[in-house]
Amino acid sequence: MNGKEKNTENTSAHAHISSYSEHFGTWVALILLTLMTVFISTFGADLRTLTVATAMLIATVKALAVALYFMHLKYDAKIYTAWMIVVMALFVFFLIMVILDYITR
Amino acid sequence: MSETVVQQPSFFQTKKGLFSWIFTLDHKRIGILYLYSIGLFFLVAAGLGILMRLELLNPGRDLIEAQTYNQVFTLHGVIMIFLFIIPSVPAVFGNFFLPIMLGTDDVAFPRLNLFSWWLYILGALFALSTLVFGDGPADTGWTFYAPYSVKTGTNVTTSVLAAFILGFSSILTGLNFIVTIHRLRTPGMGFNQMPLFAWALYATSWIQLLATPVIGITLLMIVAERVFGIGLFDPSIGGDPILYQHLFWIYSHPAVYIMALPAMGIVSEIIPTFAQRTIFGYKAIAYSSMAIAFVGYFVWGHHMFTSGMSGPAAIVFSIMTFFVAIPTAVKVFNWVATLYKGSIDIQVPLLFALAFIFNFLIGGLTGLVLGALAADVHVHDTYFVVGHFHYVMFGGAGFAFFGALHYWFPKMWGRMYNKKVANTAFALLFIGFNTTYFPMLILGLKGMPRRYYDYLPEFHDLNILSTFGSWILVTGIIVMVINLFAGGLKGKNASSNPWNGITLEWQTQSPPPLHNFDKMPELPEGGPYNYPNAKNADH
Repeated sequence: MNGKEKNTENTSAHAHISSYSEHFGTWVALILLTLMTVFISTFGADLRTLTVATAMLIATVKALAVALYFMHLKYDAKIYTAWMIVVMALFVFFLIMVILDYITR
Repeated sequence: MSETVVQQPSFFQTKKGLFSWIFTLDHKRIGILYLYSIGLFFLVAAGLGILMRLELLNPGRDLIEAQTYNQVFTLHGVIMIFLFIIPSVPAVFGNFFLPIMLGTDDVAFPRLNLFSWWLYILGALFALSTLVFGDGPADTGWTFYAPYSVKTGTNVTTSVLAAFILGFSSILTGLNFIVTIHRLRTPGMGFNQMPLFAWALYATSWIQLLATPVIGITLLMIVAERVFGIGLFDPSIGGDPILYQHLFWIYSHPAVYIMALPAMGIVSEIIPTFAQRTIFGYKAIAYSSMAIAFVGYFVWGHHMFTSGMSGPAAIVFSIMTFFVAIPTAVKVFNWVATLYKGSIDIQVPLLFALAFIFNFLIGGLTGLVLGALAADVHVHDTYFVVGHFHYVMFGGAGFAFFGALHYWFPKMWGRMYNKKVANTAFALLFIGFNTTYFPMLILGLKGMPRRYYDYLPEFHDLNILSTFGSWILVTGIIVMVINLFAGGLKGKNASSNPWNGITLEWQTQSPPPLHNFDKMPELPEGGPYNYPNAKNADH
């Protein structure tokens, strides 16, 4: 008997095959966002205190694009999206607590 | 329970020779490879522990110098944590029994499984190489606190690389189990029909997968700091030593649950079998495993109350720590409720499970003392902490490991150990354990600091008692190991279901065949612990 044939859940979730245009479009978006990051930091886009926040925002959009399209999170079962959110929440909590410790020491 | 089916060749008989073991893809053989490797390192680290207790028999120098003592307690901790307790239950019993309990023939990624064992061996060689190369083993304690770990001349770099490699082994095992649980459950087995051991491994695997990378990067940062002097943690070059502690404990506190959750899973298997009764509150136990894993991420700061961390952060961490007690208490209540009005059969595995509850209660309640901000300031870095974590790790996870060994032994080897000797070994272990570690709680409350090879004369009596307890404890370990080896070699043949269990591993022969089942296993009606006709166990 072969256990590999006994998948009990989410088998249909793996049926999705992304098109080349979707992959290419994601790639182009990532390149554009990278160029935007470089422009903001190198070529003097005068955002003052918003520079870091803008860079973080762009990086977050890029990470989401990779997770949703390249890693197929958009087409997979919702449980994996839920796990992704949980992991991000843990990371955010870690940052908040370390920063809280640092600024109130 | 007797059967008339023709036995297939067991997984022991399918192939012979050393290479058939060290390159096997069979999850059962990999589990046994882990058992022998982990067992060996446990005995080495236990030997180091005995050496420490002998040194502490009297104040002043008895056997070893202060510097050697520092290195001995570091190596004891590194081996016990990274080579024994963290991998122990998942790598041995998870590997062997998870696919069988799910009714499948292997884990999802067998080659990755073998690779994780080889990584474990490589990490172990790195850890042990510190004994013979360079300036000897690290003397920092297993926590490798900066900035001392950045400055000491001992073999910190090799030790942290060992922990880094072992972390990868742990991540791969966790990943394998998560995919196995999601994809390979037998038809008809939903998440809420899984055995509680599988639930415990599932919760553990998420911790292994999500938390271990943090310690990996943190340990590499230590190496980078030592080699390049970057200034991450060393305040003399602009670093922040408290940042190291944050990064270390964000992994290492959840790692406590990598040790405890599988142990709780074992107890959840043993108790209904020997009470011959449906487990009380299946979902509460299953979901509390996930709750412990989740809440365990938010409490790391309780290891740092005296580090110089800010007051507001410490208050938040102290409050969060108390939340962990809730799902843990849910489990203990349900185990005891399962025993209530059960047909209790006092066998050795059940004794270990009951000892787990007793020891873990002491470990857990002393943990609340340490989680309370004001009390922790008094007992931090004293023997109270040493007593507390040994009650959790050895009295809890260690005793559960021994209980699992006695519970699943007839399934793994198809033979039975001598039960009278096993009872004797249990008594020695339980008495020896409590005699060794309970005095440490008192010593800590009286103010004896940890990690010194010397102490003040007023602590002498309790240290004698503790060392005496360690002799009983090690006698128990020796008796247990000899009894299990003798049982494996020439014990009586065991039937396929000597304890009258109803989870799926008891439906296959002992030892199991290569592909675990010769026919599709039948799920028990009404869930994995529904004992409608509980009687006639053949012991």
